[in-house]
Amino acid sequence: MNRLQGKNILITGASRGLGRSLAIEYAREGAAALSLVARSSGHLKEVSERVREAGPATRLLLIEADLQHQEEIERVVATTLSEFGGRLDVLVNNASAIGPTPLPYLLDYPLEDFRSVLDTNLIAPFLLIKKALPAMVEHGGSIINVTSDAGQTGYPGWGAYGISKFGLEGMSQTWAAELDGSDVRINVVDPGEMNTAMHRAAEPEEDPNQWASPEEVTEVFVYLASDESRHLNGQRFQAQEENWGRKEGSNEGKRAEG
Amino acid sequence: MSNYSFIPHRCRPYPLAVVSAPFTFTLPPELSAKEPPERRGLARDHVRLMVIERAKRAVTHTRFDRLGQFLRGGDLLVFNTSRTLPASLQACAAPAGPCMEIRLAEHLPDDSWLALLLCQRGDPFACGLRAGMQVEFGEGLTGTIIERDERIQRLWRMRFSKSGPELIDVLYRLGRPVRYEYVSAPWDLDYYQTVYAREPGSAEMPSAGRAFTWRLLFNLKRQGIDMAYLVLHTTLSSYMDDELDALHPASEEEYFINATTAEKLNRARAEGGRIIAVGTTVVRALEAVAERDGRVRAGHGYTRLRITSEHKLKAVDALLTGLHEPEASHLDLLTAFLPAEQIREAYEEAVRLGYLWHEFGDLNLIL
Repeated sequence: MNRLQGKNILITGASRGLGRSLAIEYAREGAAALSLVARSSGHLKEVSERVREAGPATRLLLIEADLQHQEEIERVVATTLSEFGGRLDVLVNNASAIGPTPLPYLLDYPLEDFRSVLDTNLIAPFLLIKKALPAMVEHGGSIINVTSDAGQTGYPGWGAYGISKFGLEGMSQTWAAELDGSDVRINVVDPGEMNTAMHRAAEPEEDPNQWASPEEVTEVFVYLASDESRHLNGQRFQAQEENWGRKEGSNEGKRAEG
Repeated sequence: MSNYSFIPHRCRPYPLAVVSAPFTFTLPPELSAKEPPERRGLARDHVRLMVIERAKRAVTHTRFDRLGQFLRGGDLLVFNTSRTLPASLQACAAPAGPCMEIRLAEHLPDDSWLALLLCQRGDPFACGLRAGMQVEFGEGLTGTIIERDERIQRLWRMRFSKSGPELIDVLYRLGRPVRYEYVSAPWDLDYYQTVYAREPGSAEMPSAGRAFTWRLLFNLKRQGIDMAYLVLHTTLSSYMDDELDALHPASEEEYFINATTAEKLNRARAEGGRIIAVGTTVVRALEAVAERDGRVRAGHGYTRLRITSEHKLKAVDALLTGLHEPEASHLDLLTAFLPAEQIREAYEEAVRLGYLWHEFGDLNLIL
């Protein structure tokens, strides 16, 4: 409890799945303020009730925005920083679009859908980091980008989504190198297979009960949002693996050369 | 977005203290920066920099990304992190009344706003603007015009139907950045932000810091230059009324200086570092709160401080700023740093060398 005391946190894709679980867990851990961003305000209201139960003292800001539209991102950041007095401690880039379902092969992928997935999964995190960074540099902060094993391995049908996650992981490494020495850290987390609406839509033939529930993977996200991880930069975590996929004692972040 | 370059300006006496410009010069229209540097084929930090070193009476012309050559370890750059609002809104009086552009100028402590109301047709101030008028913006936002501002009578006090983050959210859905006639196109709001902008609240971009890039900021940090941050939400630079603008009414602006910044400033001063204000807004905020010995306290307030040649600078040693128009009130502020004659000479040279003016233009460092 209270591992996130005093923290101002922005979470995208916060109305369902992992984002919803993170909002509730971060409130339980004493976050000072949460800015929850999602496309639909209806689901956000339900999440806000759960968040209030988990952390009655946590200030809550709900923002409805479709992050595939670039102009929405300035609004999200400005509204958040207006409420947070210009200070942000943690940014979780969780919002993801899967693209058309059933998942088409790249050969069949409509260009508009391809662009739309990249706008949400890659361009939006780029812009959010860029615009949120000024609110982190003075006091330090943590950026957590949510990736997938499809960001390291090419799977048939996971075209635009996988490509966007490859891009997100590469972008995170570049950010980590550029931010080296700035007290702002950036890491990626692969939450593993989860029983979420998005995953069920992508793989309807699979039994969702074999997948973890989002509530089971939040621990690494709490760790990365907290000061316990302040020395870690440029690392990749796998939420469902032992020690989150890291070797014991590996506590030093990846640093840029020169 | 509307372009008000055609607007005829009205003349009207105002009960305000008249301040005459310290000097004047001719600014050819082609020296107004019409586009952001990035749209002129330049990197953000590749604009020109005119460095005036007062002690040496020397003027150097260089490029902005070489700023570090003129700074030394222990210097403290102070930035204004106020984020530019999309402060220009379109509204129509309800029901079926005149339509107007509403430019937000200042958020007041009672949660009302000061705003400049410009009629969309004909004389910009003569479409029946009156207290009690209800205006509609769209997206469920309405406003009530309450009364004229007592000090600057082109401004009206108004109240929105939303407040707090709800209002900020809808302003960003509806508004556009305030744009003047010399700017060639309605550039996106992103072009009106410094790279380090945080909390929204400025009617216009605090533009002296626009040329900074993160690469330059990190390089300066590695060079031993320290950085501190404050907030001063800027008001409008023009009331679209030549006569009123020429009077340089001392606008009121809200500022926030936190304890970390105050401590950094006082430590840098004690250790002999120079306090370098990035923009006249920073000068205004720091001089408003400085004690006689130059020490600064954390605080939040509103300032109407007018800085002229009569003002003895207490907290600020140097200034990075844009190039200011003839008759602009910011020229008054420059005379607190160096004699008007010296500024005039440097400005004449800048004109001769084709420096660009205004928010997307070149910069001037006064050491």
